[in-house]
Amino acid sequence: MNALDYLQFVLAPQVVNGLALGVAVVLVALGLTIIFGMLDVINMSHGEFYAIGAYAALALGAAGISFWFLLVLVPVLMVPLGMAAERLLIRPVFDSRDRHVTTLLVTFGLALVVEDLLKVAFGPNTQRPPTPIPGAIELAGIIVPNYRLFLIVVGAAIVTGVAYVVYRTRLGAMVRAAAFDRNMAASLGVPVALVYAGTFAFGVALAGLAGVLLAPIYSVFPTMGRDFILLAFTVVIVGGMGSIWGAVVAGLLLTQVQALASLVISPVWTDPIVFGTMVAFLVFRPQGLFGRLGHA
Amino acid sequence: MTGPVLEIRDLGIAFGGLKAVDRVSFNAQRNRITTVIGPNGAGKSTLFNLISGALKPKSGQLLIDGVDMTGASPARTKAAGLSRSFQITNLFFELTVAENLRMAAQVLEPKARAFLPLGRSIRALAKTREMLDRFQLGHKRDELAGNLSHGDQRRLEIAVCLASEPKILLLDEPTQGMSHADTADTAKLVRELSKDVSVLLIEHDIGLVMDLSDHVVVMHQGRKLAEGPPAVVRADPAVQAAYFGHH
Amino acid sequence: MRDRLTLSMRASHLLALIFVAAALALAAIGAASGDTFYLRLGTEALIFAGLALSVDLLLGYSGALSLGQALYFGIGAYVSALTLLKVPSFWLAMAAAGGVTLVASILGGLIANRVRGVYFALITFGLAQVVAKVVYNTRELGASDGMIGIPVIEIGFGPVSVSAGNPVGFFLIVLAIIMGLYGLTAYLLDTPFGRVLTALKANEKRVPFLGYSVWRARMFSYVLAGLIAGLSGALYPMLRGFVSPELMFFATSGNAVISVILGGVGTLIGAIYGSVLLVVLKSIIGSWTEHHLIVIGLIFMICVMFLPKGLVGFIRPRIEERLLAGAREPAAPSFTSAQLEPGSAKP
Repeated sequence: MNALDYLQFVLAPQVVNGLALGVAVVLVALGLTIIFGMLDVINMSHGEFYAIGAYAALALGAAGISFWFLLVLVPVLMVPLGMAAERLLIRPVFDSRDRHVTTLLVTFGLALVVEDLLKVAFGPNTQRPPTPIPGAIELAGIIVPNYRLFLIVVGAAIVTGVAYVVYRTRLGAMVRAAAFDRNMAASLGVPVALVYAGTFAFGVALAGLAGVLLAPIYSVFPTMGRDFILLAFTVVIVGGMGSIWGAVVAGLLLTQVQALASLVISPVWTDPIVFGTMVAFLVFRPQGLFGRLGHA
Repeated sequence: MTGPVLEIRDLGIAFGGLKAVDRVSFNAQRNRITTVIGPNGAGKSTLFNLISGALKPKSGQLLIDGVDMTGASPARTKAAGLSRSFQITNLFFELTVAENLRMAAQVLEPKARAFLPLGRSIRALAKTREMLDRFQLGHKRDELAGNLSHGDQRRLEIAVCLASEPKILLLDEPTQGMSHADTADTAKLVRELSKDVSVLLIEHDIGLVMDLSDHVVVMHQGRKLAEGPPAVVRADPAVQAAYFGHH
Repeated sequence: MRDRLTLSMRASHLLALIFVAAALALAAIGAASGDTFYLRLGTEALIFAGLALSVDLLLGYSGALSLGQALYFGIGAYVSALTLLKVPSFWLAMAAAGGVTLVASILGGLIANRVRGVYFALITFGLAQVVAKVVYNTRELGASDGMIGIPVIEIGFGPVSVSAGNPVGFFLIVLAIIMGLYGLTAYLLDTPFGRVLTALKANEKRVPFLGYSVWRARMFSYVLAGLIAGLSGALYPMLRGFVSPELMFFATSGNAVISVILGGVGTLIGAIYGSVLLVVLKSIIGSWTEHHLIVIGLIFMICVMFLPKGLVGFIRPRIEERLLAGAREPAAPSFTSAQLEPGSAKP
């Protein structure tokens, strides 16, 4: 095989697949980083909310609801779930001595429960919804599955939209104010409790949306969240806890490193390489690539 | 040993472009009370952080008892004989009063006792008792530090600093938030302390400063504006303008 | 002069004595009835109690949550298994496991102790995850299947020896080792050095200004915790005859954290009670449904939210009051009776 063929048939598809995975990881990490940046809460059950989204898409899709409608319906259904989780689990321990550790532990417990509930409800087997956009197109000689292309485009749009809301709108400013100084924000008339619940629910809804989008590619199984969460946490840390753009850059970069490493070295070593990056960042640049949201 | 117990030469640090402490020099004499005053934001607390090792200076030199301690860690500075209190009470709030003192006095013990039962730390335990008596905290020895009144907490903070038998005691606004009676008591205490230990003080209460200090250093916008005996400093026109003018 | 933290530790010791007495009684019943299954289950619970003990040393005393303590447990188990496959010697296996986990935890500590709080939790989580993946993919270590066929060893104490295959005998040996590790940890925590750890948890920022190196204290507790986990893990292949990568997975670390929370953070003995409680809960719920994680997860969440000092944290203050009443008579220094718990104060 000559160099050009290698580029066209091996390297380029790998880069495209890596890009699709990157967008997927960014979507999951986005909610995680927002919840951390705004609420200072480590949501260990984030992966399980992602799984709930995927299962909801699977079940509702099987009931005949169109995939396009699900893209809106599932995130909307996730909002009350997120609100309830925040109200019942996060808020009671929000002011405890060590908020990070306590919220981490509570959401870890929630993750255990949800994972097992998904097993009860849907069985332990891997399932896969049909691809909403079948087929593939050729772009500059590279075969790209249509759905992956769609995922990349939609993912980019979602991230841009979220960043716009957080950084450029009045709503975002209000949320960032509440994150920065709760008491000051309250005195300025920001409904802090509602903002916190809403922010958590928003992060959860994003995880659910990621679940809907990724189910056709990565399949649906009860432990799917757990398998994704280390990568998502790595992205959040490397990008800078709470930074949206950091998560985007880190997510795309790390998945490319992963894709290329699995090609050049061996798939076995992709995790150590990705994690080594996380360790290096934690040791040498703990604030990540970008600072953190609301605390800039 | 003679000579100043603490020598500060051209000490400086900047945050971003702001020179929080700008080439400040002065000496603190043995068993004297040296007070740093200045308006808010003058750099007094930053200076304390530089001296105690909480911050590393960008320029200058710091000598404790003639030994260069520039850029040393808080633990090393402590080992050199410098103890500091904090402007905002900084104790082990969920430990008892006695344990707060014992923790501080533990440095008096030889290293070999670090892994022996606590009861063997004879000096530390004796020191703890001594401090409890001296600061009239004996009846509260088993209270959690977090449950003490503000005045008691401020006193415990000083006691903790003293329990390690330092050469130099840095007190960052020890009377902050205290009642008049407590402030007077604290002034008396500080004067008494200066018999055995050199005191470097940050204080806002000007009456107290003039009454208590042997030597006053005035800071303004990160720089040293003046220094000298209280009466001289008070008469200095530049000090009048920059500091007393604000009051 | 006796202080509250020492008093709390005494109360833990009393609970430890009760634990040992109960364990001995159960061993006697097991021996009399010729049981194997429950004795082996109990031995396993004790081995995992060692892991939980190491988690509590970190979380309950220096205040660092490790989500990857199974790493050292797994390393201990693998090193022990590898040693036993070559030389079936208990002491050699323990020494090798201890030595390797010592080195591994120094390396891990150098990395993990660069950061604190939630970053510490995530880095320990990641460290364990990556080593587990590497083991999972290493054929020499049996890859995903792990290593089987570890011989049943004779454990010699001078002239006498006990077979690891003897359910009662091995149960007692494991009980002695785990309680020994408990005793050692409890002793160290009640020395001046151990108190520096307690101080770290109470107010880490104040510690350097008292003249103690935070890094050294954190490093010491991390390495000690790694060693405890490793030595406990070394016992695992002796009991079960195999090791697998699951021993390093998050589920194992997570179980240890759950045990500590159930039993009581910062009580040491709570970790041991918690491990046994978790095994009991799992087998009771397991006899009724295979989805025991739903129930355990719920109990865990309730504990974190409403019973943050766990089972022992709930019982221990009552024991302390008793101890105090007993100590009062001979002109003891006066204690205020309320709030004897070292960490129970409000923020």
